[in-house]
Amino acid sequence: MDNKNVLEIEGVDKHFPGVQALDDVSIDLRHGEIHAVCGENGAGKSTLMKIICGVYQPDRGTMMLNGEPLVVSNPNDAYSRGIAIIYQESSLFPDLTVLENIFMGHEIRKSVLPFLKVLKIIDYPAMRKQAGAVFERLGMDIDLDAVVSTLGVATKQMVEIAKALTFESQILILDEPTAALTSNEVDTLFETIRKLRDEGRSMLYISHRLDEVFLIADRVTVYRDGQYISTADVKDVTKDRLVSWMVGRTLTNLYPKENVDIGEVVFEVRDISQEDLLKNVSFSLRKGEILGISGLAGAGRTELAQAICGLTKPDKGEIFLNGKRTRISDYRRTLEQGIAYITEDRQTYGLILPMTLKVNITHSVLRQITNSLGIVDRGKETEITDRFVKQLDVRAPNGEFIVNNLSGGNQQKVSVAKSLAVEPQILILDEPTRGVDVGAKSEIHRIISDLAKAGKSIILISSDLPEILGMCDRVLVMKNGRIAGELSRQELSQERILGMAL
Amino acid sequence: MKRRRSITREATLALILLIILVFLSLTTSFFSQSGLYSFMLDVSPTIVAAIALGMVIFTGNIDISAGTISGFVAYTAGALVKAGVPMIVFVPAAITVGTLLAGLNGFITVKFKVPSIVVTLAMNMVHIGFYATFLPQSGWIENLGPRFTWFGRGRIFDLIPYTFVVAIVVAVIAMLVMRYSRFGKELYAVGGNRQSAIYSGINPDATVMKVFLVEGFLIGISALLRAMTRNEVMPSVFVGRELFFISAALVGGISIFGGSGKIIGAVMGAALVYLLSIAMIYYGFQDYYQFALQGIIILIAVFITVADFSKIRKRFGRRTRLEVAENE
Repeated sequence: MDNKNVLEIEGVDKHFPGVQALDDVSIDLRHGEIHAVCGENGAGKSTLMKIICGVYQPDRGTMMLNGEPLVVSNPNDAYSRGIAIIYQESSLFPDLTVLENIFMGHEIRKSVLPFLKVLKIIDYPAMRKQAGAVFERLGMDIDLDAVVSTLGVATKQMVEIAKALTFESQILILDEPTAALTSNEVDTLFETIRKLRDEGRSMLYISHRLDEVFLIADRVTVYRDGQYISTADVKDVTKDRLVSWMVGRTLTNLYPKENVDIGEVVFEVRDISQEDLLKNVSFSLRKGEILGISGLAGAGRTELAQAICGLTKPDKGEIFLNGKRTRISDYRRTLEQGIAYITEDRQTYGLILPMTLKVNITHSVLRQITNSLGIVDRGKETEITDRFVKQLDVRAPNGEFIVNNLSGGNQQKVSVAKSLAVEPQILILDEPTRGVDVGAKSEIHRIISDLAKAGKSIILISSDLPEILGMCDRVLVMKNGRIAGELSRQELSQERILGMAL
Repeated sequence: MKRRRSITREATLALILLIILVFLSLTTSFFSQSGLYSFMLDVSPTIVAAIALGMVIFTGNIDISAGTISGFVAYTAGALVKAGVPMIVFVPAAITVGTLLAGLNGFITVKFKVPSIVVTLAMNMVHIGFYATFLPQSGWIENLGPRFTWFGRGRIFDLIPYTFVVAIVVAVIAMLVMRYSRFGKELYAVGGNRQSAIYSGINPDATVMKVFLVEGFLIGISALLRAMTRNEVMPSVFVGRELFFISAALVGGISIFGGSGKIIGAVMGAALVYLLSIAMIYYGFQDYYQFALQGIIILIAVFITVADFSKIRKRFGRRTRLEVAENE
């Protein structure tokens, strides 16, 4: 790694209606380095990346590529200047093949008739050859004709990377590439990233996972609230330092778990089976307990949660609530019985994004706040909303605020608020802190801890091992649809969990 | 897996078509010169229009006014023929009218960010009103003569209508365009994932504008294929035709959600819709039944597309597991 800057960005401002997304932001990227970009949601990382890629235009500021001024007015300009962004897997076209995806918008074309230069057709053999060469170089064997929707998340990510490499990009921007990957897949990805660095490419690596930053990055730049905070060599900073830069204060405790007197068994599941997703799963949950469910992606954690909530129908199994056998047939009934499920995919299933906070928080309790004519009691609606906005410290001006305009962490709080509105005894949280920044994460953990203290029982499903270790009284480790083991708080360690999960 | 299934979807359709054909041939006089001729003659305009609508639907849009646009196309051709204009002029002129009217739909959709279903629904009503208010005799023109009908009624070997040849040529070109042109890929991209399309350097607005122009062009051809078989034109006979066009496309497996489907599906969908109504005519059902059947076919088609929409189920809970399983 030499110290030559390939990309220099200075004093960039970007204003959106109502927000100053970037305020005098700078970054420089050296030749052959992996440069991590950190910051909470709303810090401006994504906006900056989109400016580099030509999706947005900066209001002010200069960008230099290899010492020359860089102007990118659309994503194609960025590609042709050797800058590629690798979005999360969702940016592929599911119904098209790998090959079509890789070349979307940049198809190789040839003239079909020598005398008619305008008539160009897509040259499949040439595209196949080029894409094949890239996959070979990455040491990956991927069927170019496979339809993308049939691929796994990790493979999709590789397709995204291959897409960028096909254009011989010198600068790669990776936007949370590991968000949906399992730890094995992350290792493979990191290997690829290092290989690319050693080839002399430069990378901007955006991630919420600080551990990854220390594992993969050479330098790190932190933004906060649209402003540049600091840049440092990764070897010179500590995790605490980074966190304090990101949140602007020192976080005393990311896992504010309090000791709670754990009461009697309130909920018990016996022998739940569902196709080959779940096999004879049994467990119990006590009052005030935080029960973690860990395991690799695909181990059956979400399936278990959905089966016990009546969102899917298990083939067999019994559920006992407060010692009494209960039939769980659909989710409405589940809610009425005091069990609430908070989905991992809040954007798709948890919240109605274009609606207000008030609508979102109260729609699970509409029955309780409507009168006999079916008319909503506006006073109660506001009261419930205000109560939870205050309790969970949702950063929104008022209940009429549109959820879509909140940051990820605050959206997650609304999702929790919505479930709390039904006054559940048992809360099932599925990946509650995925994709939220470290500050919001700490707050969500505090909420979870407070709820347990208030006597609620909590099932916490998480891929984030430190979160499981930090928050849970007891942990079930799942593997291939079974419970592979159970660990008490005293027995908990990352190694033990992984040992059971793998 | 999905790939195999999508091939099966078109193959299933082909099989159903074959079964109906064999059945009709064995039990009725369908497999005769006149039976085949009239089938090919009737299905040609719908094949072209189903391709047109199919392309629009690929992008996640729709054109409810395709039927009434056809009426304008037919009227333009008829009026020009009456004025003594030769075919070399009235055909391009009529197609241009179709292209411009659909282009207007596209323009409003893109420029004012109104969903195309709203724009074209409104336009459909505007068109119908226009027929009655501004066209002499609501656009009815009779006695157009052989200068108008020679092409529509012409046939090769006394069997294959010229119009059918046109429809097949259009279908082949459309398939080549979808496979070999950047435009074809853009249609899927915009309908499949608009945001990613932008990130891939595609301008979705431009693509939508283009697809409406192409659709209008094809609707122009489709309307002429139908109009030129008759000695008179009457715009109002085209009102409601869009239902056939859209149902043909949907029956052909083109997803109403956009981003998925095949041109060959639209072609077979058109054939299926027609074969079923022909079958009903042969068996003596009345018009009303035919309409009801048409509706049921649309429902079944939409059901199939939704059932095929594995993303929904995948997202709903089983995502991780499925993907892991497929990875292994």
